[in-house]
Amino acid sequence: MVSIQGVSYGYESRKKILKDINLEIKQGECILLCGESGCGKTTMTKLVNGLIPHFCEQCELEGTVRIQDMEVASTKLYKIAESVGSVFQNPKSQFFQLDTDSEIAFGMENQGKSKEEMQSRLQNTVHNLHLEKLLGRNIFELSGGEKQLLAFASVYAMNPSVYVLDEPTANLDFSAIQSIKQLLRILKQNGHTIIIAEHRLSFLYDLLDRAVYLKNGILIKVYSKEEFLALSEQDRKRMGLRCLKEEEGELPKAHGAGKDIGLSIEALTVGYKKKCVLFNNISFSAIQGEILAITGYNGIGKTTLIRCVCGLMKQMGGQILLDGKIMPEKVRRQQCILVMQDVNHQLFAESVWEECKISGDGLEDSVIKSELKQMGLLSYADRHPMALSGGQKQRLAIVTAILSCKKILIFDEPTSGLDYATMIMVSTRLKKLAKSGRIVIVVTHDKEFMLSACDRVLKI
Amino acid sequence: MHHRSRSGSFLDPRTFLLLLLIANVITFSQISLWIEMGWIVFVDSMILLSGKYKMAVKWILLFCILLLLQYIVLPASPEIIATIFVILVNYSIRMFPCLLIGSFMMREISLRQFVLAMRKLHFSEKLIISLSVTIRYFPAIKEEIYHTKDAMSLRKIKSSKKLEAMLVPLMMSAAATAEELSAAAVTRGIENPIKKTSLLTLKLNFNDYACCVIGCLFLVGTFILK
Repeated sequence: MVSIQGVSYGYESRKKILKDINLEIKQGECILLCGESGCGKTTMTKLVNGLIPHFCEQCELEGTVRIQDMEVASTKLYKIAESVGSVFQNPKSQFFQLDTDSEIAFGMENQGKSKEEMQSRLQNTVHNLHLEKLLGRNIFELSGGEKQLLAFASVYAMNPSVYVLDEPTANLDFSAIQSIKQLLRILKQNGHTIIIAEHRLSFLYDLLDRAVYLKNGILIKVYSKEEFLALSEQDRKRMGLRCLKEEEGELPKAHGAGKDIGLSIEALTVGYKKKCVLFNNISFSAIQGEILAITGYNGIGKTTLIRCVCGLMKQMGGQILLDGKIMPEKVRRQQCILVMQDVNHQLFAESVWEECKISGDGLEDSVIKSELKQMGLLSYADRHPMALSGGQKQRLAIVTAILSCKKILIFDEPTSGLDYATMIMVSTRLKKLAKSGRIVIVVTHDKEFMLSACDRVLKI
Repeated sequence: MHHRSRSGSFLDPRTFLLLLLIANVITFSQISLWIEMGWIVFVDSMILLSGKYKMAVKWILLFCILLLLQYIVLPASPEIIATIFVILVNYSIRMFPCLLIGSFMMREISLRQFVLAMRKLHFSEKLIISLSVTIRYFPAIKEEIYHTKDAMSLRKIKSSKKLEAMLVPLMMSAAATAEELSAAAVTRGIENPIKKTSLLTLKLNFNDYACCVIGCLFLVGTFILK
């Protein structure tokens, strides 16, 4: 179905991103592309959906990629789009319409499908993927997870035979991942070919047929399902892969409100207007020395809750106390620092070093250096923040948060899209941070990370 | 109501475009206040008919206030105040026909209806795509600004750096979004030269014909009075 022969790829003089890749994918197979961040798995997906070479300028591509009888390099992108559907990592930048119905129809409208066919495919899509609740909504009101499901729906409606997925679950909660898993299963049963680049492997273990392990742009090994699932824990960690099976285990529940030490949230009511109350009367506390995880479904309003805790919005009722003292919004803003889900909003300096200097105003250079080193960023100190990879930016934002010396640190999905090694790096650093007496709250869906880093969990 | 049966809008986007054109002619020919006032009464009653009572009342009140200012308050007020406000008020009144029909259109028409209307009117596909992506990007910018502001208010940023802290992330994410958006667009076949279809149907009905006829009468009136 898909055949990749002798492909090397790179930007002009720089190092090759992919080196001499050979891979044959049969119809109906589910292929996992895995490896550490920057190993070239995203680039592999672009070879198949035609973004390479059609969409990347100044690139050098050797070798050929074929989809059935179609050579990707010499076929127009819209032709490729008829047989290859793509879902990308960032849910925010994948839609073109303002409402969900027209978004699902977008691909079909481009193909000039008749209205009757579109109607029936739209109905089918919504029915098969159980997305009835997405119909007729304004896209800007959807949560990240819902947007991603919508992107899937829109591709599904075009009915391609090959699905190319680039970390589609980076932002999704457990139940959303389950619905995507369900959907991938349906696709597989219908004989579609699936090529998926992913960090989070646990939801794929019973779907995949083969796993392709890449390292530094070289295809190291193609594992059969049996071989891959039989990997020892040790090998898996050495390869830098996240866990293969859903981690078992539960964390103890968050402390109730009313602690004299630490952050105490008492009977907090959060919402935008009277009509739209997201949380009613919620109470918990987070103490020094422990990391509190906050978890819950996509779209339930976790981000709004932490915005309120940070003092970025006023609560509708209840209060927030630090060490027994009530904190109004302004004090909260002084005490809290937030690492956002999309860290692009908080990086603006000319270099990584400069970014740290701004945050750690008055701190010794050696402190900054040691922080950067602990996050594996020291060698990038002169780079522009925007020239970093997604995972590196995320770690830089964490470094700046730590350097701000604020008492309460809140992280919104700090591990989305991190491989095993960096996830452990982040979790080790956060644990040390909590031990040093700061209050650390992490909003996350990532169970593996939660179990490795956090002490308590608040499920909302 | 009969007009609710058709994808929710009171008038067809094409009718709106025609009315917008006529409003422009009325505005820039500046023939008589009576024509202008007649136009405003006409559009405002359309808004009323479409069931947007609040909007209709708001706009008509605003227009009355402007008239009041222009003809009663300003002539009676001290010269300094008059000279400061006279231009503003005068131009607001002049622009009112366009503003009114424009905001009515924004409320009634969804982006997809507008795109479909442009396709039916044989606008070039290039223009349609760039226009629709631009419109799609406005709410995104709003979101970006909101997040960036959040990030800023939690960090200690010198006031000299504030503008930078706002603009750099905004521009960077705009560039990134543009790139990702176009990658997603081309993989969904936006470059396909085939005639594009739409899930919606646009059909002119009684409301549209009536409005077009009345609109044309205004146009004729404008030229006769000239």
